[in-house]
Amino acid sequence: MSQTVIPYLEMSQAIVDAGGEALKKCYQCGTCTGTCPWTPITHFNIRKLIRFGQLGIDGIEEYMWGCSTCKFCVDRCPRGVELIDVVTAIRNVYSGGGMLPQSLRAFVGSLSARGNPWSGDQDKRNDWAKDKYPVYTKDMDYLFFTCCTVCYDPRNIKLAKATAEVLNLAGLNWGIPSVDVNCCGESVRKVGDLELFERLKQNNLNYFKTNNVDKIVTVSPHCLATFKKEYGEDYDVMHLSQLIARLIKEGKLTPKKDFGGLKVTYHDPCYLGRHSGVYDAPRDILKAIPGIDFVEMGRNREQSMCCGGGGGGLWMEKLKGERLSDLRIEEAMATGATVLATSCPYCITMFEDSSRTLNVDEQIKIKDVTELFLESLGVNMDELMAGTSDLNFTCKAD
Amino acid sequence: MEFEPKILGIACNWCTYTGADLAGTTRLQYPQNLRVVRVMCSSRINPSFIFRAFQLGADGVLVGGCHPGDCHYNTGNLYARRRLAVTRKILEFAGIEPGRFRVEWISASEGNKFAEVVTEFTEQVKTLGPQTKFKIEQQPSLEKI
Amino acid sequence: MSRIGVFVCHCGLNIAKTIRVSELAQFASTLPDVVVAKDYKFMCSTPGQEMIASDIKEHKLDRIIVAACSPLMHEQTFRKVIENAGLNKYLVTIVNIREQVSWVTHDVEEGTSKAKALLNGAVYRARLLAPLTSRFIDVSPDVMVIGGGIAGIQAALELANTGKKVYLVEKNSTIGGHMAQFDKTFPTLDCSACILTPKMDAVLQHKNITMMTYCEVTEVKGYVGNFDITVKQKARYVDHDKCNACLACTEKCPGKGVSEWDEGLVKRKAIYIPFPQAVPQKPVIDRDACTFFIKGKCRLCEKVCEQKAIDFEQQDTFSTVKVGAVIVATGYDLMNTKPLVQYGYGKYPGVYSALEVERLFNSAGPTSGKVTLRDGKEPQAIAILHCIGSRDKNNYEHCSRVCCMYSLKFAHLFKEKTSADVYQFYIDMRAPGKGYEEFYNRIIEEDVKFIRGKGARVAESADEPGRMIVEAEDTITGKFIKLPVDMVVLSPAMIPRSDSKDIARLFNLSTDKYGFFMERHPKLAPLSTMSEGIFIAGVCQSPKDIPDTVAQANGAAAEALTIVVKDKMELEATTAMVNPASCCACQNCIRVCPYGAPFFNEQKGVSEINEALCKGCGLCASVCPASAIIARHFTNDQVLAEIEGLMEF
Ligand SMILES: Cc1cc2nc3c(=O)[nH]c(=O)nc-3n(C[C@H](O)[C@H](O)[C@H](O)COP(=O)(O)OP(=O)(O)OC[C@H]3O[C@@H](n4cnc5c(N)ncnc54)[C@H](O)[C@@H]3O)c2cc1C
Ligand code: SF4
Ligand code: SF4
Ligand code: SF4
Ligand code: SF4
Ligand code: SF4
Repeated sequence: MSQTVIPYLEMSQAIVDAGGEALKKCYQCGTCTGTCPWTPITHFNIRKLIRFGQLGIDGIEEYMWGCSTCKFCVDRCPRGVELIDVVTAIRNVYSGGGMLPQSLRAFVGSLSARGNPWSGDQDKRNDWAKDKYPVYTKDMDYLFFTCCTVCYDPRNIKLAKATAEVLNLAGLNWGIPSVDVNCCGESVRKVGDLELFERLKQNNLNYFKTNNVDKIVTVSPHCLATFKKEYGEDYDVMHLSQLIARLIKEGKLTPKKDFGGLKVTYHDPCYLGRHSGVYDAPRDILKAIPGIDFVEMGRNREQSMCCGGGGGGLWMEKLKGERLSDLRIEEAMATGATVLATSCPYCITMFEDSSRTLNVDEQIKIKDVTELFLESLGVNMDELMAGTSDLNFTCKAD
Repeated sequence: MEFEPKILGIACNWCTYTGADLAGTTRLQYPQNLRVVRVMCSSRINPSFIFRAFQLGADGVLVGGCHPGDCHYNTGNLYARRRLAVTRKILEFAGIEPGRFRVEWISASEGNKFAEVVTEFTEQVKTLGPQTKFKIEQQPSLEKI
Repeated sequence: MSRIGVFVCHCGLNIAKTIRVSELAQFASTLPDVVVAKDYKFMCSTPGQEMIASDIKEHKLDRIIVAACSPLMHEQTFRKVIENAGLNKYLVTIVNIREQVSWVTHDVEEGTSKAKALLNGAVYRARLLAPLTSRFIDVSPDVMVIGGGIAGIQAALELANTGKKVYLVEKNSTIGGHMAQFDKTFPTLDCSACILTPKMDAVLQHKNITMMTYCEVTEVKGYVGNFDITVKQKARYVDHDKCNACLACTEKCPGKGVSEWDEGLVKRKAIYIPFPQAVPQKPVIDRDACTFFIKGKCRLCEKVCEQKAIDFEQQDTFSTVKVGAVIVATGYDLMNTKPLVQYGYGKYPGVYSALEVERLFNSAGPTSGKVTLRDGKEPQAIAILHCIGSRDKNNYEHCSRVCCMYSLKFAHLFKEKTSADVYQFYIDMRAPGKGYEEFYNRIIEEDVKFIRGKGARVAESADEPGRMIVEAEDTITGKFIKLPVDMVVLSPAMIPRSDSKDIARLFNLSTDKYGFFMERHPKLAPLSTMSEGIFIAGVCQSPKDIPDTVAQANGAAAEALTIVVKDKMELEATTAMVNPASCCACQNCIRVCPYGAPFFNEQKGVSEINEALCKGCGLCASVCPASAIIARHFTNDQVLAEIEGLMEF
């Protein structure tokens, strides 16, 4: 095969125009590749992707779907290259040309048709709540923005309910959005469909405006980061863990139940940690719960490893041996912990899958920090979940 | 025709004037609406210079000095900073839009900052339109004084 | 009525390409009091200058306006021209139509009309200019050099050899700087001590050099030609006049301090000289390490000292030195790499910073020149990581310029002293000096492995306890490398001394965003600063190697000499004066003047200004409520006239 190429600068320019301006700054040092969690286990090479993008030469297709937008390389790049912007721009240019991989088509299709990535009916968005929890009205203080994943994914409905109960116990004046809202759009933006993202965003903004929303609590760090960075500055957005940590500090909620030495480790979700800078709040919650023996994994906080679920990764099939969530579970188990806590519905989904395929779901439980916290307030999670099994959505087609 | 404002610049010799020169040596491009008066230190600037410029029909006035702490004369620009803050208040009181008066600290090495500030300020003054509040229509020319 | 001549310069095409110069001259001739207006290709050339001179005579001109490059370039040239032609030199006005017009626009229309406005302003102002008389002051013939590294040593010696007296201020207890820490120097691999020690001794012996070690500058007053600099002599607790350098005290001392010289790798005594060839050879006591100062008991040194030189009562002392010029040569620090957690410095004992490694190579160092790890073993595999914190937007954007080269030097010395495999992890190899590329080739042939990719992470080895894994991409093959090593050398960014901002404040220097001192002009005045009479040399200006440092030091010495060879020097005449008839005695001027120039004349009941102290900033003129202060050359009338002229077009 010939190795001759001619740089195709129009392609490079198209990437720049789609928001990938930063690729010009790259001096090909390889720090990103050396930092990227995928490098050791897949053939994805982020530096080459940037290089091919700089020259517009063939090879882009081979690498463009490998990134899970964990932001590790961005924080380390000595040139300040916003690599995620470049990845997004490349995906935008190429998927505009019809190069969306098979596994992402259902996801994008569902978002486009139903406003959520899980092929759930839009009008069933609030079925999980069974009219038990209030819908947001103008006089309320907080909008609990329910991530699509906690509305439709059976495992994560638990998290939705736990959140609702915590908000109730705190005595806050809050509500969930009506079924008119849709996905925050984060994943589809990273998959490169900027036009669809814009549509989803405008729809949510309309809802926020007509309902006078100003304070938003999110359960998913992906919503958090997107509202903060992409939706403008009119909203006071915080992650649930930040709210809970504050309530504990102010003495409004006090965990009581003693877990009797339960060993828990914590995984920093990329979008809560590196993307949003929230590292302490979830740890503060865990440390406030009596009888939790908190241990850190070697890679934590700014250095945390990605679960692989970001940037559309949640919907892409990965071969065995090429899954970051598997490695992370192993790292968690090596600490001796029996609970891997985190604070992101995507991470939960990824880890639940891995713990089952690795056959360790008995040894290590995957929990959201909120779930642990609610239990420590004396609420029984199983009772809370009673009656959800009859919920009926089409969910992630395995 | 598009409105082309007249802007007076007053720059200290050591920092901003030198920075403006650097913008030139590095061939940065910026709008030509600015006319710069050189003084040795921003502290030399008497508020009357600024009022007079507005009377004479300036649409904007841009003052540049060394960064606080970097003044060639140690503390000159600290006095200037205070005095110019008061000047701004008086201008506002007199009905001149605050957007027409700007003070920037630009060092001798900040040629690009100089160009950026001039570009931005010129744009801003353009959107404000001609300054008429303070302008004295019939200027007694120098000949007659 | 004045008679003004206007001269418009083309500066080749620099001006003429964006400004219609003949139209500008034509325009000038229509302005009030303008008697002649001309344009010419190069006003600063000899024919240009002659044209001005002859027109002054022919047309009896009494004001000259030159529309050309910035006054910062040629104001002095044209002042001389008109002075030679018999005019007061302050009567020339420069209109900056190059840097501030023709170089900042491509639009001929805009350029020409802005130039007209500027010229109009200049004519209005020129009509009001008054002749001024220059002032002369005595120049102090001595020079102070701050920093006793190779830069300071070299500059001090050069100056002293011309017969000038030099004060060399060094904050450590010895001179020598970083160069004294090295074993060999690239690219020639000559022994550092062999070339440095003779120079250090020469400083000590030189009758024209006053060495002030263990000293710091605390206050600077005055101005070029006449600085009064206060120097603090830190208490040494040893009377150096009595001490005869027998060093008996250092043998007996039980105190333990951290050896700065050995980069903290070993301990030293509390009473110590930093290294065997230190200059001076006389010790100081480190209070924080001394048993007597900590516990109140010991005084062993005092007992063994036959000279009775130990003095626990010694205090810091201050003295003031008068000099005409100053050379600042305070050098550099290496960046602290601990915060870059990915490299494990401070966490893994096998990770070293570059200067620590220099000490390992040095036969006077902690390992007597043997390359061994902290556990005493010889390393089997060594990785040298380039650009740690350099060329990095998250840390320091600049290239540190010498680390590629010293990394090569390290590789060579590792090969010579151990049987280890040596790897360089680099982004770009920078070897642009004389003999440097050749040196690079030589090291390649010594079978050092070059991996083009920045080190991304240093991790603990899971399989071999005590070893480390260096992770990086070899960008040439695109392969991810996990290299087991037992020694990692970081080449950290060279950064200004932590106190460089204080030095900058004392001497009124500007610094870049990191604290390197700014030169007056990056190309044409790389050693002078915006502060007249203050020069810079060595790494305090920006990273560089020893040859460049020495060249700069020599240059700075020559520049300082141009000031101190003169008995007298001219000062700008643009000072302020008080018009006693208007002064309301509010004394505002006295309160605000940064130089204490105004004073109150009790007898006359008005303020006056000491012209020798006035620097002409004009601050007092604008705070004077009675408009009694005239800031010469920038009077209210002059500035207002210029503004009027500018606003007319
Ligand atoms: C690891 C390493 C290896 C190197 N190897 C080589 C080599 O092989 N060949 C080569 O050409 N170059 C080499 N270099 C570069 C070399 O070190 C410098 O070019 C040279 O040392 C610069 O000298 P300097 O006098 O400017 O600074 P310094 O050596 O830093 O000296 C500055 C002096 O000023 C003193 N000082 C600082 N602040 C004050 C103050 N406020 N008041 C009074 N005194 C003060 C300091 O104590 C010091 O004595 C190497 C650099 C490093 C980091
Ligand atoms: S770390 Fe940054 S500069 Fe280095 S190769 Fe990656 S994108 Fe390019
Ligand atoms: S964002 Fe994360 S996954 Fe994507 S290239 Fe960077 S390090 Fe790899
Ligand atoms: S008093 Fe003791 S500890 Fe202190 S310097 Fe003298 S010998 Fe050393
Ligand atoms: S000299 Fe070499 S190692 Fe040092 S910063 Fe520059 S490129 Fe990096
Ligand atoms: S002009 Fe400046 S230096 Fe001179 S007396 Fe006035 S305030 Fe002092």
